[in-house]
Amino acid sequence: MKELLAEVLHNEQIAPGIFAISLKLPEDVRVGCGQFLNLSVGDGGHLLRRPFAIMGYDKGSRVAVCCYQVKGEGTHILSRAKAGDALSCVLPLGNGFSLREEDKRVALVGGGVGVFPLLSVLRAFHESDKHFRSYMGFRSGEYADMFERYDRRSDYYACATDDGSLGAKGNAVQLFFGDFESAKPDVILSCGPTPMLRALKAGLAERGVHVPCYVSLEERMGCGIGACLVCVCKKSGREENVRVCKDGPVFEIGEVEL
Amino acid sequence: MADLKVDLCGVRLKNPVIAASGTFGFGKEFDEIYDIGVLGGVSTKGLTLEPRLGNPTPRIAEGRGVILNAVGLQNPGVEAFLRDDLAFLKSKNIAVIANVAGKTLEDYARICERLDGKVDMIELNISCPNVKCGGMAFGIRPESVEEVTRAAKASLRRTPLMVKLSPNVESIAVNALAAERGGADAVSLINTLTGMAVDLERRRPLLANVTGGVSGAGIKPIALRMVWEVCRAVSVPVVGMGGIACAEDALEFILAGAAAVQVGTANFTDTLAMPKIVSGMNEWLDGHGIRDVNELRAALIV
Repeated sequence: MKELLAEVLHNEQIAPGIFAISLKLPEDVRVGCGQFLNLSVGDGGHLLRRPFAIMGYDKGSRVAVCCYQVKGEGTHILSRAKAGDALSCVLPLGNGFSLREEDKRVALVGGGVGVFPLLSVLRAFHESDKHFRSYMGFRSGEYADMFERYDRRSDYYACATDDGSLGAKGNAVQLFFGDFESAKPDVILSCGPTPMLRALKAGLAERGVHVPCYVSLEERMGCGIGACLVCVCKKSGREENVRVCKDGPVFEIGEVEL
Repeated sequence: MADLKVDLCGVRLKNPVIAASGTFGFGKEFDEIYDIGVLGGVSTKGLTLEPRLGNPTPRIAEGRGVILNAVGLQNPGVEAFLRDDLAFLKSKNIAVIANVAGKTLEDYARICERLDGKVDMIELNISCPNVKCGGMAFGIRPESVEEVTRAAKASLRRTPLMVKLSPNVESIAVNALAAERGGADAVSLINTLTGMAVDLERRRPLLANVTGGVSGAGIKPIALRMVWEVCRAVSVPVVGMGGIACAEDALEFILAGAAAVQVGTANFTDTLAMPKIVSGMNEWLDGHGIRDVNELRAALIV
């Protein structure tokens, strides 16, 4: 966990309102898949940093790549950052995804900008013998490229769109359960909008599926390092909160209330 | 190297920079990024008698130059603090200031009793705008400020008491005097200003709690004015806070009369904000030929 001043190398739109930013770090860090960074938008007037999944990190060049959606003023300002700009950030943050040796068949269920943490898994296990089946959902076809352009690793890939403009009309959870018998996953990793995660949780319960399932959550954050208790989530069945930034963002799906 | 040591009602700080309650937890997380032993002190997350889960999320929002929070005093309770967190803070050789929040006078007295002699100072939180019962209720009227201060003071034999004042009042100087009459050894100000942020498109408030406490660089002029007013009114030391983001900001508060300062929101913008403020103070004082930071205190020419 380090506070660093990163240099912007590229910052370009890859889908409507979705940007990819490459950041050159002044020193090497150890980044695991599913971890994130907390990035300043760089204008001084926005006091909070924005937490983004680190989609990829190359140790040799010390370049981290994150993708983000322009949602409000802060991300709009970030989208105007140019090559050569310096942005401060803290990284690596959070627990990230981990796969056990015996997790050979991995199902990835993603929706919208939730595909990026899952892409970090595909990159991290690029040279492994694991079998990845990816089910991704988007608002419409024009967003699908934000997964497809980076995915070099899925052994099977299916996409769904809300409006049916590409792939099946529907969502990633439907795709996943439709393929469940052939997938026979050892583990399920997921990230996406909360309604999607809820549908996944409900679907697993209805079908009595006991395959371990890990979800990466999103929440508005303050410090990003676990001190301020802003980004909390309730533990299932317990009067206790967990911190999304420090205890997560990845949780076993049964561990937290969605 | 200028001398940054300050004395806060008998508590000696190696420098006047204290982490503000609620932005720094109990120090462990920031210590993973830098050695928090470089700070003058840490004011802990507000402690209640029993653990509290706090408010629903979202608990944070942003405006231009400010943030709003409505965490609602989530904390593990005073016993868990004593058991799990105090030893770590003490090991860092910094002033450990326990921020205390209660629902009733009795709560305040009992928590203070548990902490007496175990921490370097108590900071009485009577100004949290984000919880319904207690907290803020004590912080508004001068009579209740005095009453809660007296109740806390009565259960403290060894540990000095600082009262954290709310800016959401008729006169913060009048309330500061009330705290002084109640036996406060110091006062700290300002807590957050109550505010609101909405999402126009969704026609909904941005905070689940609807309203929240406004903090950050944008509130600095208000905080500075209030600190100046209070410093002129009371004779106990004043700890100033509100929008401090750099060494110059901190020195302005000292110039207005503060004995020390607290830094909160800036910790979110830059995790190294406080060590930078400490070293920046040194540089500024050296650059101006001032050997002791106390020379600057209350030296404002009006």
